[in-house]
Amino acid sequence: MNPTRDLVVVLALLGASAIVPLMGGDYWIGVGISTFMWVALTQSWSLLSGLSGYVSLGHVVFYGLGTYIVVTSWEVVPIAVALALAAGAAAVFAFVTGMPVLRVRGPYFVILTFGIAELVKFVVMAAEAAAGNASRLILGTPQIETLFFLMLGLAAAATVLAWGVRVSRLGHGLRAIREDEEAAETLGVPVARYKLLAFVLSACIPGAVGGVMALRNTYFEPLQAFDPMISFSMIAMAVIGGSDDLRGPVVGTAFFVFLSEMLWANAPQVYMMMLGILLVLFVLFVPEGLCGRLFRARTA
Amino acid sequence: MIDTLASGQLLFAALALGATYALVALGLNLVYGTMRLLNVAHGDLVMLGGYITYWAFALGGVSPLVSLLGTAVAAALLGVLAYRLLFRAMLGARGTGPRVEANSLLLFFGLSIVVQNLAALIFSPTPRGYEYLSDVLHFGNVALTGNRLAALLVAAALCLAVVLFLRWHTMGLAMRALMEHREAAAVVGVDIDRIQLASFAVGFGTAAVAGALVSMTEQVSPFMGFPFTVAAFVVIVMGGLGRLEGGMAAAFALGLLETYGVALTSTNWRSILLYGTFVALLLARPQGLFGRPAVMR
Repeated sequence: MNPTRDLVVVLALLGASAIVPLMGGDYWIGVGISTFMWVALTQSWSLLSGLSGYVSLGHVVFYGLGTYIVVTSWEVVPIAVALALAAGAAAVFAFVTGMPVLRVRGPYFVILTFGIAELVKFVVMAAEAAAGNASRLILGTPQIETLFFLMLGLAAAATVLAWGVRVSRLGHGLRAIREDEEAAETLGVPVARYKLLAFVLSACIPGAVGGVMALRNTYFEPLQAFDPMISFSMIAMAVIGGSDDLRGPVVGTAFFVFLSEMLWANAPQVYMMMLGILLVLFVLFVPEGLCGRLFRARTA
Repeated sequence: MIDTLASGQLLFAALALGATYALVALGLNLVYGTMRLLNVAHGDLVMLGGYITYWAFALGGVSPLVSLLGTAVAAALLGVLAYRLLFRAMLGARGTGPRVEANSLLLFFGLSIVVQNLAALIFSPTPRGYEYLSDVLHFGNVALTGNRLAALLVAAALCLAVVLFLRWHTMGLAMRALMEHREAAAVVGVDIDRIQLASFAVGFGTAAVAGALVSMTEQVSPFMGFPFTVAAFVVIVMGGLGRLEGGMAAAFALGLLETYGVALTSTNWRSILLYGTFVALLLARPQGLFGRPAVMR
Protein backbone atom coordinates (compact mmCIF):
# COMPACT_ATOMS: atom_id res chain seq x y z
CA MET A 1 0.00 0.00 0.00
CA ASN A 2 1.45 3.30 -1.05
CA PRO A 3 -0.77 6.21 -0.04
CA THR A 4 1.23 8.83 -1.87
CA ARG A 5 1.07 6.98 -5.18
CA ASP A 6 -2.67 6.44 -4.59
CA LEU A 7 -3.05 10.16 -3.93
CA VAL A 8 -1.43 11.01 -7.26
CA VAL A 9 -3.66 8.52 -9.08
CA VAL A 10 -6.87 9.81 -7.49
CA LEU A 11 -5.97 13.48 -7.97
CA ALA A 12 -5.03 12.80 -11.61
CA LEU A 13 -8.42 11.17 -12.15
CA LEU A 14 -10.22 14.07 -10.51
CA GLY A 15 -8.14 16.56 -12.52
CA ALA A 16 -8.91 14.76 -15.77
CA SER A 17 -12.63 14.93 -15.04
CA ALA A 18 -12.38 18.74 -15.05
CA ILE A 19 -12.87 18.63 -18.83
CA VAL A 20 -16.41 17.26 -18.45
CA PRO A 21 -18.09 20.72 -18.55
CA LEU A 22 -16.28 21.44 -21.82
CA MET A 23 -17.51 18.27 -23.46
CA GLY A 24 -20.80 17.19 -21.98
CA GLY A 25 -24.09 18.90 -21.33
CA ASP A 26 -25.85 19.51 -18.07
CA TYR A 27 -26.59 15.81 -17.67
CA TRP A 28 -22.94 14.83 -17.52
CA ILE A 29 -22.10 17.78 -15.31
CA GLY A 30 -24.79 16.56 -12.95
CA VAL A 31 -23.35 13.05 -12.97
CA GLY A 32 -19.96 14.60 -12.21
CA ILE A 33 -21.37 16.53 -9.24
CA SER A 34 -22.90 13.46 -7.69
CA THR A 35 -19.74 11.45 -8.31
CA PHE A 36 -17.59 14.07 -6.59
CA MET A 37 -20.10 14.38 -3.78
CA TRP A 38 -19.87 10.68 -3.02
CA VAL A 39 -16.09 10.65 -3.35
CA ALA A 40 -15.84 13.50 -0.86
CA LEU A 41 -18.32 11.94 1.56
CA THR A 42 -16.93 8.42 1.38
CA GLN A 43 -13.35 9.65 1.65
CA SER A 44 -14.28 11.62 4.78
CA TRP A 45 -16.15 8.69 6.26
CA SER A 46 -13.21 6.35 5.64
CA LEU A 47 -10.88 8.78 7.36
CA LEU A 48 -12.69 8.08 10.60
CA SER A 49 -14.34 4.70 10.23
CA GLY A 50 -11.97 2.95 7.86
CA LEU A 51 -8.93 3.87 9.92
CA SER A 52 -10.18 3.74 13.49
CA GLY A 53 -12.84 1.03 13.17
CA TYR A 54 -15.40 3.35 14.75
CA VAL A 55 -18.15 2.83 12.18
CA SER A 56 -20.28 5.95 11.94
CA LEU A 57 -23.78 5.39 10.68
CA GLY A 58 -24.76 8.99 11.22
CA HIS A 59 -22.49 10.94 8.91
CA VAL A 60 -25.52 12.41 7.18
CA VAL A 61 -25.92 14.65 10.21
CA PHE A 62 -22.90 16.71 9.10
CA TYR A 63 -24.18 16.86 5.54
CA GLY A 64 -27.62 17.86 6.73
CA LEU A 65 -26.30 20.56 9.07
CA GLY A 66 -24.25 21.99 6.21
CA THR A 67 -27.34 22.06 4.04
CA TYR A 68 -29.36 23.73 6.75
CA ILE A 69 -26.71 26.39 7.40
CA VAL A 70 -26.45 27.36 3.73
CA VAL A 71 -30.21 27.49 3.26
CA THR A 72 -30.88 29.54 6.38
CA SER A 73 -28.05 31.96 5.68
CA TRP A 74 -28.99 32.38 2.02
CA GLU A 75 -28.83 36.03 0.91
CA VAL A 76 -27.57 36.92 4.38
CA VAL A 77 -23.92 36.09 3.88
CA PRO A 78 -21.89 35.47 0.69
CA ILE A 79 -21.79 31.90 -0.58
CA ALA A 80 -18.12 31.39 0.30
CA VAL A 81 -18.79 32.43 3.87
CA ALA A 82 -21.88 30.24 4.04
CA LEU A 83 -19.94 27.21 2.85
CA ALA A 84 -17.18 27.88 5.36
CA LEU A 85 -19.84 28.19 8.04
CA ALA A 86 -21.36 24.89 6.90
CA ALA A 87 -18.03 23.11 7.28
CA GLY A 88 -17.39 24.89 10.56
CA ALA A 89 -20.79 24.04 12.01
CA ALA A 90 -20.30 20.38 11.16
CA ALA A 91 -16.85 20.43 12.77
CA VAL A 92 -18.14 22.13 15.91
CA PHE A 93 -21.02 19.68 16.15
CA ALA A 94 -18.55 16.80 15.81
CA PHE A 95 -16.30 18.33 18.46
CA VAL A 96 -19.09 18.85 20.97
CA THR A 97 -20.80 15.50 20.47
CA GLY A 98 -17.55 13.63 19.87
CA MET A 99 -16.31 13.76 23.43
CA PRO A 100 -19.17 11.76 24.95
CA VAL A 101 -20.02 9.77 21.82
CA LEU A 102 -16.54 8.39 21.19
CA ARG A 103 -16.46 6.76 24.61
CA VAL A 104 -19.09 4.38 23.29
CA ARG A 105 -17.63 1.46 21.42
CA GLY A 106 -18.33 -1.16 18.81
CA PRO A 107 -21.91 -1.77 17.74
CA TYR A 108 -23.18 0.76 20.27
CA PHE A 109 -21.18 3.49 18.62
CA VAL A 110 -22.75 2.53 15.30
CA ILE A 111 -26.34 2.73 16.48
CA LEU A 112 -25.64 5.76 18.65
CA THR A 113 -24.37 7.76 15.68
CA PHE A 114 -27.47 6.70 13.79
CA GLY A 115 -29.68 7.73 16.69
CA ILE A 116 -28.04 11.15 16.93
CA ALA A 117 -28.51 11.79 13.23
CA GLU A 118 -32.18 10.88 13.47
CA LEU A 119 -32.60 12.98 16.60
CA VAL A 120 -31.12 16.03 14.88
CA LYS A 121 -33.35 15.39 11.87
CA PHE A 122 -36.48 15.40 14.01
CA VAL A 123 -35.33 18.45 15.98
CA VAL A 124 -34.76 20.37 12.73
CA MET A 125 -38.16 19.21 11.48
CA ALA A 126 -39.83 20.41 14.67
CA ALA A 127 -37.96 23.72 14.49
CA GLU A 128 -38.98 24.22 10.87
CA ALA A 129 -42.56 23.30 11.66
CA ALA A 130 -42.58 25.74 14.58
CA ALA A 131 -41.26 28.43 12.25
CA GLY A 132 -44.01 27.57 9.79
CA ASN A 133 -41.83 26.14 7.01
CA ALA A 134 -42.54 22.78 5.46
CA SER A 135 -39.64 23.32 3.10
CA ARG A 136 -37.49 26.21 1.95
CA LEU A 137 -36.71 27.35 -1.54
CA ILE A 138 -33.62 29.34 -2.47
CA LEU A 139 -33.41 31.35 -5.66
CA GLY A 140 -30.51 32.65 -7.70
CA THR A 141 -28.04 29.89 -6.90
CA PRO A 142 -24.78 29.71 -8.90
CA GLN A 143 -24.57 28.02 -12.26
CA ILE A 144 -24.16 24.28 -12.47
CA GLU A 145 -20.57 24.63 -13.79
CA THR A 146 -19.58 26.57 -10.69
CA LEU A 147 -21.08 23.89 -8.48
CA PHE A 148 -19.26 21.25 -10.50
CA PHE A 149 -15.89 22.83 -9.76
CA LEU A 150 -16.79 23.49 -6.13
CA MET A 151 -17.64 19.85 -5.65
CA LEU A 152 -14.56 18.76 -7.56
CA GLY A 153 -12.52 20.88 -5.19
CA LEU A 154 -14.19 19.27 -2.19
CA ALA A 155 -13.53 15.77 -3.52
CA ALA A 156 -9.87 16.68 -4.03
CA ALA A 157 -9.66 18.31 -0.60
CA ALA A 158 -11.20 15.26 1.07
CA THR A 159 -8.73 13.01 -0.71
CA VAL A 160 -5.76 15.15 0.28
CA LEU A 161 -7.02 15.29 3.86
CA ALA A 162 -7.48 11.54 3.95
CA TRP A 163 -3.97 11.11 2.56
CA GLY A 164 -2.50 13.53 5.08
CA VAL A 165 -4.08 11.65 7.94
CA ARG A 166 -2.96 8.28 6.63
CA VAL A 167 0.70 9.18 6.37
CA SER A 168 0.81 11.04 9.70
CA ARG A 169 1.17 9.91 13.30
CA LEU A 170 -2.57 10.38 13.60
CA GLY A 171 -3.25 7.77 10.92
CA HIS A 172 -0.94 5.23 12.51
CA GLY A 173 -2.47 5.93 15.89
CA LEU A 174 -5.98 5.42 14.50
CA ARG A 175 -4.99 2.11 12.96
CA ALA A 176 -3.55 1.05 16.30
CA ILE A 177 -6.86 1.97 17.93
CA ARG A 178 -8.69 -0.11 15.34
CA GLU A 179 -6.56 -3.18 16.06
CA ASP A 180 -6.56 -2.94 19.84
CA GLU A 181 -7.56 0.21 21.68
CA GLU A 182 -6.26 -0.85 25.10
CA ALA A 183 -2.89 -1.84 23.68
CA ALA A 184 -2.67 1.44 21.78
CA GLU A 185 -3.40 3.40 24.93
CA THR A 186 -0.82 1.44 26.90
CA LEU A 187 1.80 2.22 24.26
CA GLY A 188 1.14 5.92 24.64
CA VAL A 189 -1.21 6.68 21.75
CA PRO A 190 -3.34 9.63 22.90
CA VAL A 191 -6.46 7.64 22.15
CA ALA A 192 -9.16 10.11 23.15
CA ARG A 193 -7.49 13.05 21.40
CA TYR A 194 -6.85 11.13 18.18
CA LYS A 195 -10.39 9.82 17.98
CA LEU A 196 -11.85 13.27 18.52
CA LEU A 197 -9.50 14.82 15.97
CA ALA A 198 -10.44 12.19 13.38
CA PHE A 199 -14.13 12.73 14.12
CA VAL A 200 -13.84 16.48 13.59
CA LEU A 201 -11.73 16.11 10.44
CA SER A 202 -14.17 13.62 8.95
CA ALA A 203 -17.09 15.96 9.67
CA CYS A 204 -16.05 19.25 8.10
CA ILE A 205 -16.00 18.28 4.42
CA PRO A 206 -19.40 16.54 4.55
CA GLY A 207 -20.69 19.82 6.02
CA ALA A 208 -19.41 21.77 3.02
CA VAL A 209 -20.68 19.07 0.63
CA GLY A 210 -24.13 19.44 2.14
CA GLY A 211 -23.88 23.18 1.59
CA VAL A 212 -23.05 22.79 -2.09
CA MET A 213 -25.86 20.27 -2.51
CA ALA A 214 -28.28 22.79 -1.03
CA LEU A 215 -27.26 25.16 -3.82
CA ARG A 216 -27.66 22.39 -6.37
CA ASN A 217 -31.11 21.27 -5.17
CA THR A 218 -32.22 24.88 -4.49
CA TYR A 219 -34.60 23.71 -1.82
CA PHE A 220 -34.42 22.29 1.64
CA GLU A 221 -36.55 19.64 3.22
CA PRO A 222 -35.31 18.03 6.46
CA LEU A 223 -36.37 14.51 5.50
CA GLN A 224 -34.16 14.70 2.42
CA ALA A 225 -31.25 16.63 3.86
CA PHE A 226 -30.97 14.20 6.78
CA ASP A 227 -31.95 11.08 4.86
CA PRO A 228 -30.28 8.13 6.65
CA MET A 229 -29.78 6.51 3.26
CA ILE A 230 -26.98 9.00 2.67
CA SER A 231 -25.09 7.58 5.65
CA PHE A 232 -25.87 4.10 4.52
CA SER A 233 -24.63 4.76 0.99
CA MET A 234 -21.32 6.10 2.31
CA ILE A 235 -20.76 2.86 4.20
CA ALA A 236 -21.79 0.66 1.31
CA MET A 237 -19.51 2.53 -1.10
CA ALA A 238 -16.59 2.43 1.30
CA VAL A 239 -17.00 -1.23 2.20
CA ILE A 240 -17.32 -2.24 -1.43
CA GLY A 241 -14.44 -0.08 -2.58
CA GLY A 242 -12.26 -0.93 0.40
CA SER A 243 -12.24 1.37 3.38
CA ASP A 244 -8.56 1.48 4.29
CA ASP A 245 -7.33 2.60 0.91
CA LEU A 246 -7.38 6.03 -0.74
CA ARG A 247 -8.61 4.55 -4.00
CA GLY A 248 -11.38 2.59 -2.30
CA PRO A 249 -13.91 5.43 -2.15
CA VAL A 250 -13.30 6.24 -5.82
CA VAL A 251 -13.81 2.64 -6.90
CA GLY A 252 -16.93 2.23 -4.74
CA THR A 253 -18.35 5.57 -5.85
CA ALA A 254 -17.79 5.00 -9.54
CA PHE A 255 -19.58 1.69 -9.27
CA PHE A 256 -22.57 3.12 -7.44
CA VAL A 257 -22.95 6.30 -9.45
CA PHE A 258 -23.13 4.14 -12.54
CA LEU A 259 -25.76 1.95 -10.87
CA SER A 260 -27.69 4.91 -9.57
CA GLU A 261 -27.78 6.68 -12.93
CA MET A 262 -29.38 3.59 -14.37
CA LEU A 263 -31.86 3.00 -11.59
CA TRP A 264 -32.36 5.99 -9.29
CA ALA A 265 -34.82 7.96 -11.40
CA ASN A 266 -36.98 5.03 -12.48
CA ALA A 267 -36.60 2.52 -9.69
CA PRO A 268 -35.09 4.03 -6.55
CA GLN A 269 -36.22 1.05 -4.50
CA VAL A 270 -34.43 -1.36 -6.79
CA TYR A 271 -31.32 0.78 -6.44
CA MET A 272 -31.47 0.71 -2.65
CA MET A 273 -32.05 -3.03 -2.73
CA MET A 274 -29.01 -3.56 -4.91
CA LEU A 275 -27.03 -1.46 -2.46
CA GLY A 276 -28.22 -3.62 0.42
CA ILE A 277 -27.62 -6.91 -1.37
CA LEU A 278 -24.14 -5.86 -2.46
CA LEU A 279 -23.29 -4.77 1.07
CA VAL A 280 -24.41 -8.13 2.44
CA LEU A 281 -22.42 -10.03 -0.18
CA PHE A 282 -19.29 -7.96 0.36
CA VAL A 283 -19.44 -8.25 4.15
CA LEU A 284 -19.81 -12.00 3.80
CA PHE A 285 -17.30 -12.71 1.07
CA VAL A 286 -15.01 -9.72 0.46
CA PRO A 287 -14.82 -7.85 3.79
CA GLU A 288 -11.63 -6.07 2.75
CA GLY A 289 -13.36 -4.48 -0.25
CA LEU A 290 -12.45 -4.40 -3.93
CA CYS A 291 -9.22 -2.48 -3.43
CA GLY A 292 -8.06 -4.75 -0.65
CA ARG A 293 -8.83 -7.78 -2.78
CA LEU A 294 -7.10 -6.46 -5.88
CA PHE A 295 -4.11 -5.34 -3.90
CA ARG A 296 -3.68 -8.68 -2.21
CA ALA A 297 -4.10 -10.57 -5.45
CA ARG A 298 -1.26 -8.58 -6.98
CA THR A 299 1.22 -9.15 -4.20
CA ALA A 300 0.34 -12.77 -3.58
CA MET B 1 -55.54 19.35 29.61
CA ILE B 2 -55.57 17.95 33.12
CA ASP B 3 -58.70 16.00 32.22
CA THR B 4 -56.92 14.32 29.34
CA LEU B 5 -53.90 13.49 31.45
CA ALA B 6 -55.93 12.11 34.30
CA SER B 7 -58.21 10.04 32.09
CA GLY B 8 -57.84 6.29 32.14
CA GLN B 9 -57.80 6.35 28.38
CA LEU B 10 -54.31 7.77 28.13
CA LEU B 11 -53.02 5.37 30.73
CA PHE B 12 -54.54 2.55 28.79
CA ALA B 13 -52.94 3.72 25.54
CA ALA B 14 -49.60 3.86 27.35
CA LEU B 15 -50.05 0.33 28.64
CA ALA B 16 -50.91 -0.99 25.20
CA LEU B 17 -47.88 0.72 23.68
CA GLY B 18 -45.69 -0.59 26.51
CA ALA B 19 -46.87 -4.16 25.96
CA THR B 20 -46.04 -3.92 22.26
CA TYR B 21 -42.59 -2.55 23.04
CA ALA B 22 -42.04 -5.32 25.57
CA LEU B 23 -42.86 -7.93 22.97
CA VAL B 24 -40.60 -6.37 20.34
CA ALA B 25 -37.75 -6.01 22.83
CA LEU B 26 -38.09 -9.59 23.95
CA GLY B 27 -37.02 -10.96 20.58
CA LEU B 28 -34.19 -8.50 20.20
CA ASN B 29 -32.99 -9.36 23.68
CA LEU B 30 -32.94 -13.08 22.87
CA VAL B 31 -30.94 -12.73 19.66
CA TYR B 32 -28.54 -10.23 21.20
CA GLY B 33 -28.23 -12.16 24.42
CA THR B 34 -27.41 -15.53 22.92
CA MET B 35 -25.21 -14.39 20.03
CA ARG B 36 -24.21 -10.77 20.64
CA LEU B 37 -25.78 -9.91 17.31
CA LEU B 38 -27.43 -6.52 17.24
CA ASN B 39 -30.33 -7.02 14.88
CA VAL B 40 -31.08 -3.58 13.48
CA ALA B 41 -33.52 -5.21 11.08
CA HIS B 42 -35.65 -6.32 14.01
CA GLY B 43 -38.20 -3.56 13.49
CA ASP B 44 -38.61 -4.60 9.87
CA LEU B 45 -40.04 -7.88 11.11
CA VAL B 46 -42.66 -5.85 12.92
CA MET B 47 -43.39 -4.26 9.57
CA LEU B 48 -43.58 -7.64 7.78
CA GLY B 49 -45.89 -9.02 10.46
CA GLY B 50 -48.11 -6.00 9.99
CA TYR B 51 -48.28 -6.53 6.23
CA ILE B 52 -49.02 -10.25 6.47
CA THR B 53 -51.89 -9.49 8.83
CA TYR B 54 -53.13 -6.65 6.65
CA TRP B 55 -53.22 -8.75 3.49
CA ALA B 56 -54.78 -11.73 5.22
CA PHE B 57 -57.52 -9.42 6.44
CA ALA B 58 -57.92 -7.37 3.26
CA LEU B 59 -57.84 -10.27 0.79
CA GLY B 60 -59.11 -13.23 2.78
CA GLY B 61 -61.08 -11.54 5.50
CA VAL B 62 -59.06 -13.47 8.07
CA SER B 63 -59.28 -12.03 11.56
CA PRO B 64 -55.90 -10.69 12.75
CA LEU B 65 -56.21 -12.74 15.89
CA VAL B 66 -56.47 -15.88 13.77
CA SER B 67 -53.76 -15.07 11.23
CA LEU B 68 -51.47 -14.34 14.16
CA LEU B 69 -50.34 -17.93 14.29
CA GLY B 70 -49.49 -18.11 10.61
CA THR B 71 -47.66 -14.79 10.86
CA ALA B 72 -45.56 -16.08 13.73
CA VAL B 73 -44.68 -19.30 11.92
CA ALA B 74 -43.79 -17.48 8.70
CA ALA B 75 -41.49 -15.07 10.52
CA ALA B 76 -39.91 -17.87 12.55
CA LEU B 77 -39.12 -19.69 9.30
CA LEU B 78 -37.57 -16.49 7.98
CA GLY B 79 -35.43 -16.43 11.12
CA VAL B 80 -34.33 -20.02 10.54
CA LEU B 81 -33.46 -19.16 6.96
CA ALA B 82 -31.50 -16.04 7.92
CA TYR B 83 -29.57 -17.94 10.56
CA ARG B 84 -28.75 -20.88 8.32
CA LEU B 85 -27.82 -18.88 5.24
CA LEU B 86 -26.13 -15.81 6.64
CA PHE B 87 -25.15 -15.98 10.26
CA ARG B 88 -24.20 -19.53 11.13
CA ALA B 89 -21.02 -19.55 9.07
CA MET B 90 -19.92 -16.25 10.56
CA LEU B 91 -20.64 -17.28 14.12
CA GLY B 92 -19.42 -20.83 13.71
CA ALA B 93 -15.67 -20.64 13.51
CA ARG B 94 -14.66 -18.21 16.21
CA GLY B 95 -17.80 -17.53 18.13
CA THR B 96 -18.48 -13.90 18.85
CA GLY B 97 -16.01 -11.05 18.88
CA PRO B 98 -15.79 -7.38 17.95
CA ARG B 99 -15.19 -8.20 14.29
CA VAL B 100 -18.20 -10.51 14.03
CA GLU B 101 -20.31 -7.96 15.89
CA ALA B 102 -19.38 -5.18 13.50
CA ASN B 103 -19.82 -7.33 10.41
CA SER B 104 -23.12 -8.74 11.56
CA LEU B 105 -24.36 -5.22 12.20
CA LEU B 106 -23.54 -4.23 8.62
CA LEU B 107 -25.18 -7.44 7.47
CA PHE B 108 -28.37 -6.69 9.35
CA PHE B 109 -28.33 -3.16 8.00
CA GLY B 110 -28.00 -4.44 4.47
CA LEU B 111 -30.89 -6.82 5.04
CA SER B 112 -32.98 -4.08 6.59
CA ILE B 113 -32.53 -1.87 3.53
CA VAL B 114 -33.38 -4.76 1.23
CA VAL B 115 -36.52 -5.72 3.15
CA GLN B 116 -37.76 -2.14 3.46
CA ASN B 117 -37.30 -1.36 -0.20
CA LEU B 118 -38.69 -4.69 -1.30
CA ALA B 119 -41.78 -3.92 0.76
CA ALA B 120 -42.01 -0.44 -0.76
CA LEU B 121 -41.69 -1.95 -4.22
CA ILE B 122 -44.31 -4.66 -3.74
CA PHE B 123 -46.79 -2.96 -1.41
CA SER B 124 -46.15 0.66 -2.52
CA PRO B 125 -45.05 3.21 0.11
CA THR B 126 -48.66 4.22 0.87
CA PRO B 127 -49.63 3.42 4.48
CA ARG B 128 -52.37 0.84 4.78
CA GLY B 129 -54.87 0.17 7.52
CA TYR B 130 -58.06 -1.71 8.22
CA GLU B 131 -60.89 -1.62 10.71
CA TYR B 132 -61.13 -4.46 13.14
CA LEU B 133 -62.73 -4.48 16.59
CA SER B 134 -62.80 -0.71 16.39
CA ASP B 135 -65.98 -0.36 18.44
CA VAL B 136 -65.55 1.72 21.55
CA LEU B 137 -66.02 -0.09 24.83
CA HIS B 138 -66.73 1.64 28.12
CA PHE B 139 -65.37 0.52 31.44
CA GLY B 140 -66.47 3.02 34.06
CA ASN B 141 -65.20 6.32 32.71
CA VAL B 142 -62.55 4.69 30.52
CA ALA B 143 -63.38 4.49 26.85
CA LEU B 144 -61.26 2.22 24.72
CA THR B 145 -61.41 0.34 21.46
CA GLY B 146 -61.60 -3.44 21.37
CA ASN B 147 -58.56 -3.80 19.13
CA ARG B 148 -56.38 -1.96 21.62
CA LEU B 149 -57.58 -4.17 24.42
CA ALA B 150 -56.97 -7.28 22.32
CA ALA B 151 -53.46 -6.09 21.42
CA LEU B 152 -52.65 -5.45 25.05
CA LEU B 153 -53.92 -8.84 26.16
CA VAL B 154 -52.20 -10.82 23.41
CA ALA B 155 -48.89 -9.01 23.85
CA ALA B 156 -48.95 -9.46 27.61
CA ALA B 157 -49.89 -13.14 27.32
CA LEU B 158 -47.12 -13.79 24.81
CA CYS B 159 -44.53 -12.00 26.96
CA LEU B 160 -45.61 -14.11 29.89
CA ALA B 161 -45.40 -17.27 27.80
CA VAL B 162 -41.84 -16.48 26.72
CA VAL B 163 -40.81 -15.69 30.29
CA LEU B 164 -42.25 -19.00 31.48
CA PHE B 165 -40.56 -20.79 28.60
CA LEU B 166 -37.21 -19.33 29.58
CA ARG B 167 -37.75 -20.17 33.19
CA TRP B 168 -39.06 -23.73 32.99
CA HIS B 169 -38.47 -25.27 29.59
CA THR B 170 -35.15 -27.05 28.99
CA MET B 171 -34.52 -25.09 25.82
CA GLY B 172 -35.38 -21.86 27.57
CA LEU B 173 -32.92 -22.68 30.31
CA ALA B 174 -30.29 -23.43 27.68
CA MET B 175 -30.94 -20.02 26.10
CA ARG B 176 -30.39 -18.33 29.41
CA ALA B 177 -27.24 -20.35 29.96
CA LEU B 178 -25.94 -19.12 26.61
CA MET B 179 -26.69 -15.53 27.60
CA GLU B 180 -24.87 -15.89 30.89
CA HIS B 181 -21.77 -17.69 29.76
CA ARG B 182 -21.23 -19.10 26.32
CA GLU B 183 -18.23 -21.32 26.97
CA ALA B 184 -19.62 -22.75 30.18
CA ALA B 185 -22.88 -23.55 28.42
CA ALA B 186 -20.98 -25.43 25.73
CA VAL B 187 -19.00 -27.33 28.36
CA VAL B 188 -22.11 -28.60 30.10
CA GLY B 189 -23.47 -29.88 26.83
CA VAL B 190 -25.75 -27.16 25.47
CA ASP B 191 -26.14 -27.59 21.72
CA ILE B 192 -25.17 -24.03 20.85
CA ASP B 193 -26.09 -24.22 17.18
CA ARG B 194 -29.59 -25.43 17.95
CA ILE B 195 -30.16 -22.82 20.64
CA GLN B 196 -29.00 -20.03 18.37
CA LEU B 197 -31.36 -21.25 15.69
CA ALA B 198 -34.21 -21.33 18.19
CA SER B 199 -33.37 -17.80 19.36
CA PHE B 200 -33.59 -16.52 15.80
CA ALA B 201 -36.90 -18.29 15.29
CA VAL B 202 -38.45 -17.08 18.54
CA GLY B 203 -37.03 -13.58 18.13
CA PHE B 204 -38.31 -13.17 14.58
CA GLY B 205 -41.65 -14.77 15.40
CA THR B 206 -42.45 -12.55 18.38
CA ALA B 207 -41.50 -9.42 16.45
CA ALA B 208 -43.89 -10.36 13.66
CA VAL B 209 -46.68 -10.99 16.14
CA ALA B 210 -46.03 -7.54 17.60
CA GLY B 211 -46.39 -6.21 14.06
CA ALA B 212 -49.70 -8.00 13.65
CA LEU B 213 -50.94 -6.36 16.85
CA VAL B 214 -49.69 -2.93 15.80
CA SER B 215 -51.50 -3.25 12.47
CA MET B 216 -54.82 -3.56 14.31
CA THR B 217 -54.51 -0.05 15.73
CA GLU B 218 -52.14 1.76 13.39
CA GLN B 219 -51.43 1.91 9.68
CA VAL B 220 -48.58 -0.16 8.28
CA SER B 221 -45.97 1.24 5.90
CA PRO B 222 -42.68 -0.09 4.53
CA PHE B 223 -40.47 2.21 6.61
CA MET B 224 -42.30 1.91 9.94
CA GLY B 225 -39.84 -0.57 11.41
CA PHE B 226 -36.86 1.37 12.62
CA PRO B 227 -38.52 3.29 15.45
CA PHE B 228 -39.51 -0.09 16.88
CA THR B 229 -35.90 -1.24 16.76
CA VAL B 230 -34.86 1.91 18.58
CA ALA B 231 -37.60 1.50 21.18
CA ALA B 232 -36.50 -2.08 21.72
CA PHE B 233 -32.90 -0.94 22.23
CA VAL B 234 -34.03 1.58 24.81
CA VAL B 235 -35.98 -1.12 26.59
CA ILE B 236 -33.05 -3.52 26.65
CA VAL B 237 -30.59 -0.88 27.81
CA MET B 238 -32.89 0.05 30.68
CA GLY B 239 -33.90 -3.49 31.52
CA GLY B 240 -30.73 -5.46 31.05
CA LEU B 241 -29.60 -8.57 29.25
CA GLY B 242 -31.64 -11.69 29.80
CA ARG B 243 -33.64 -9.81 32.41
CA LEU B 244 -36.91 -10.03 30.66
CA GLU B 245 -38.93 -8.87 33.67
CA GLY B 246 -36.74 -5.77 33.92
CA GLY B 247 -37.25 -5.27 30.21
CA MET B 248 -40.99 -5.36 30.63
CA ALA B 249 -40.93 -2.72 33.34
CA ALA B 250 -38.74 -0.61 31.06
CA ALA B 251 -41.11 -1.13 28.14
CA PHE B 252 -44.04 0.18 30.17
CA ALA B 253 -41.94 3.10 31.37
CA LEU B 254 -41.15 3.97 27.75
CA GLY B 255 -44.79 3.56 26.79
CA LEU B 256 -45.79 5.97 29.54
CA LEU B 257 -43.06 8.46 28.63
CA GLU B 258 -43.97 8.47 24.98
CA THR B 259 -47.75 8.60 25.44
CA TYR B 260 -47.75 11.30 28.10
CA GLY B 261 -44.88 13.16 26.45
CA VAL B 262 -46.84 13.41 23.21
CA ALA B 263 -50.02 14.36 25.08
CA LEU B 264 -48.17 17.19 26.81
CA THR B 265 -46.40 18.50 23.70
CA SER B 266 -47.42 17.51 20.18
CA THR B 267 -47.07 14.57 17.83
CA ASN B 268 -44.01 16.24 16.30
CA TRP B 269 -42.25 15.42 19.52
CA ARG B 270 -42.86 11.71 19.46
CA SER B 271 -39.68 10.85 17.55
CA ILE B 272 -37.65 13.44 19.43
CA LEU B 273 -38.67 11.84 22.73
CA LEU B 274 -37.86 8.36 21.49
CA TYR B 275 -34.49 9.14 19.94
CA GLY B 276 -33.61 11.57 22.72
CA THR B 277 -34.15 8.89 25.34
CA PHE B 278 -32.12 6.48 23.25
CA VAL B 279 -29.15 8.83 22.82
CA ALA B 280 -29.22 9.92 26.45
CA LEU B 281 -29.24 6.33 27.66
CA LEU B 282 -26.32 5.23 25.53
CA LEU B 283 -24.31 8.28 26.55
CA ALA B 284 -25.05 7.55 30.19
CA ARG B 285 -23.98 3.93 29.77
CA PRO B 286 -21.11 4.00 27.29
CA GLN B 287 -20.14 0.42 28.07
CA GLY B 288 -23.16 -0.58 26.09
CA LEU B 289 -26.06 -2.57 27.20
CA PHE B 290 -24.44 -4.57 29.93
CA GLY B 291 -21.80 -3.44 32.35
CA ARG B 292 -20.71 -6.95 33.19
CA PRO B 293 -17.62 -7.55 31.11
CA ALA B 294 -16.38 -10.39 33.32
CA VAL B 295 -19.46 -12.40 32.44
CA MET B 296 -19.44 -11.39 28.82
CA ARG B 297 -16.07 -12.83 27.94
